[in-house]
Amino acid sequence: MSEAISRLRQEAEEAKSAWKPRVKDITEDFTSASNQLEPGQLVKDEWFTLFEAVGALEIMDPKMDSGFIPPGDTFEADFDPATPVSLPELLWVMDQILCLEIMWHAGYALSQTVFTSLHIDRLLGPQQPRIPTLYSPTGGGPPENLTEEQSIGHAVLTAYCVAVIKCCDMVVGLVQSQNFYEEEDFVTHLFGRELLPHMSTNTIDGMLDGVIPRLEDFGNVGEDVKEALLLRLQFRSIFLGVLSDRTSEQQWEQMLGLLKTIKTSHTFSTPLPDAFSDKVQRQLATSTPPRPMLSTSWEDACTKWSNMCEHIVAVNRLTQSEVVYSPACLQRAVWAFSYRGEAFPLPRAIMQDILFGEQAIRGEVLPYDLLLADIRDLVLAGDTLVDPQSFQVEVTTDPRHICSRLIEGFMDKAIEEYLNLYRMMCQNRCRIRRTFTQSIPIFDAMVTEAKNVDVELQKITASKKLTDTRTGKAYSLDPLSSWARFYKLRIMAWTIQLGFETEIYLPDELGGTYWFLAQLSQQRSELLDRVLQFTIGRSFHVRHDQNAVADCMLSEKYLESLHAVSEITRLIAEALWKLFTLLTSTGVVAKPERDYASQQLMYEARMKPYLAVVNDPVPSAAEFDDATTHHGSLEQTCNEVDEHIKEAKQLLVGVKKMTPEQAKYLGTEEEWKKEVKGLEATCIAVAVTASQVRNAGKKYGEDGELATKLECKAERRWAEWWVVPVIKEKVSSQVALR
Amino acid sequence: MGCTPAQASAYLTSLLNKTLHIHISDGRMFAGQLKCTDNERNIILAMTQEYRQPSRKDIERAAAEHEASGKGGNVKVDMKKRFVGLVVVPGKYVEKIEVEG
Repeated sequence: MSEAISRLRQEAEEAKSAWKPRVKDITEDFTSASNQLEPGQLVKDEWFTLFEAVGALEIMDPKMDSGFIPPGDTFEADFDPATPVSLPELLWVMDQILCLEIMWHAGYALSQTVFTSLHIDRLLGPQQPRIPTLYSPTGGGPPENLTEEQSIGHAVLTAYCVAVIKCCDMVVGLVQSQNFYEEEDFVTHLFGRELLPHMSTNTIDGMLDGVIPRLEDFGNVGEDVKEALLLRLQFRSIFLGVLSDRTSEQQWEQMLGLLKTIKTSHTFSTPLPDAFSDKVQRQLATSTPPRPMLSTSWEDACTKWSNMCEHIVAVNRLTQSEVVYSPACLQRAVWAFSYRGEAFPLPRAIMQDILFGEQAIRGEVLPYDLLLADIRDLVLAGDTLVDPQSFQVEVTTDPRHICSRLIEGFMDKAIEEYLNLYRMMCQNRCRIRRTFTQSIPIFDAMVTEAKNVDVELQKITASKKLTDTRTGKAYSLDPLSSWARFYKLRIMAWTIQLGFETEIYLPDELGGTYWFLAQLSQQRSELLDRVLQFTIGRSFHVRHDQNAVADCMLSEKYLESLHAVSEITRLIAEALWKLFTLLTSTGVVAKPERDYASQQLMYEARMKPYLAVVNDPVPSAAEFDDATTHHGSLEQTCNEVDEHIKEAKQLLVGVKKMTPEQAKYLGTEEEWKKEVKGLEATCIAVAVTASQVRNAGKKYGEDGELATKLECKAERRWAEWWVVPVIKEKVSSQVALR
Repeated sequence: MGCTPAQASAYLTSLLNKTLHIHISDGRMFAGQLKCTDNERNIILAMTQEYRQPSRKDIERAAAEHEASGKGGNVKVDMKKRFVGLVVVPGKYVEKIEVEG
């Protein structure tokens, strides 16, 4: 044993002393050997692929090699960070850093933003003391004969830059603790640098606090400049504070307020562009090509900062207590958050942190309670099955105990994917669509799982059955599979409409896609209708229990709103299906040449995310084909479109009367109004197109002629989720169509 | 080294995954594992570190510090080193090739 230890120690010593490797010059051997190779012949490691080779950086290529120095250029920037700066120059440097910092927040790399500050570069350089200084760490202290102004300037700049670095450090930590996509959304790469991990926020706060009175007491400078500098220090101090203790929400609003004054006081600055250089990239560890230093206007940067702070304020507003207890409201909240314009990873990380950071949402609602509330609100309002008290029953023979364990078993399997419904919304739009398509088969499998549990529950509770008035068949509620199926159908519809939004369908594919959307909405409406019947039935059954009755009534209203929205979706989708199919068949919407595509291949490509669905299988290629072939006359089709739109509009009138409590849009009232308005506008746009097509049909006849007279553009002007055909007469035959 | 193409290829193959030091015309040196090469002496290195001679400023700084410290003897300045990962060094810039070990 001791022998082994001493041997290891000896080996370690040898390894240490051998760190300077012995090398042998092989230039000649290598050269003559490579001369013997055939042109194009490669000698390569068998595990090394040419695919990897493509990613290699080409040395001495100015576009690829970040270490390349153009002839006549110097390796390092000329500006020495220890150079004295005037206070107006200092102001400019601080603002420039603010510009670069927000560009980093918006997704650019530190190497092309914050790290291009030569002051920050110096502070992050090697051999710095524990509290870094702007002066060369090897070349001693400050330059001689610094004036008081210059000395204050350096102190302010040091404290400010150190605080910026720490803020970046904490943002990296926060974003990395949640779901995000490196390079795609945000670059956390530090290029071999460390962001002062050994310095605590307290120390840095102390530095900021130390320079503020020095600056305040200094008389030999314009009040404007002094005030501007103090504002920036205050802003930095708050940002640092709110990042280290995120319970202080109102501070984001304070920052918003400060930004307004910061923005206008930039005019007192004097430019010092030499203090920034992308030459720092030559010393940063990186496996990427050099990236240009970013330039952005001051106005633009201020707007971005304000937007980011506003998003964070919105996170807090959207996740108020009244919202987080209602799964439906919370889902609307994450959607509303996702649709708030320009995205920044920091607010998204804060949103995820609130939702998933501690064991409970906002520290209040456990994920399981949220899921149980969702199941209750949707399918089992007023039922003892989902009464939290039932889960407390410990008598193993009690049916409530047995049922609770069954439901818990199901929730165990459902919880992860269910929470993804909230988490996914903190990604970018394309990601959202992609991850939802991946969750379709998972929810489908959940339906299968739930069906088994429903059978078990039915055995124990022998719950009531209803009879279908049309077919005369009896059916049961099957609560859990109905719940899972609702989500599956809704997610499928979402993926289609997110597809409209991200413009993945070509105009000639829209007819079929709308038909599929109408089918899915129809299934969802029928499902909701059945669930509603059971909930109404239950409210009679539990009439002795006032709380249960109230729960049922709330759920009824909610189900009615879901049903109405589903029906509106179906009706508009049907109208657009018919309209697009008509326009495609008359050639107004042209089909592009597709040399290698067959109907079958097109179907498979588009339906790929849905083909694996086992419960409610998707329509076949033949059915799809049939649906996208136009039947009947132009006039008749336009009439049908009008009918659908009329019906949808009637339903919208009802929807507009629903209160936030009924349709569960507490906390997202604005967005709800906007959505309803978007649907109304879409209805009108569809009706307008239908009437134009009808008129054109009367004028030019129904067939081939139309394509030569009309042109069609698919537009999303009225609502993000609806692509509507817009008809115009071709210039050659411009006669008013009204 | 007069040798057959087969021997040449075998020699180069024996160098694969060894750490090479490639000195190039602008004075830099790259140390990384040989992954691939061809008849133009283009060289792909993985896990590469870039070494650069200290700049004039670095030397001045070091000299100033050395003087201040009052020590005698020679001034020592380290090469600047950074990680650059996977690189291809075009043959035309290669001036010297060394192998470790």
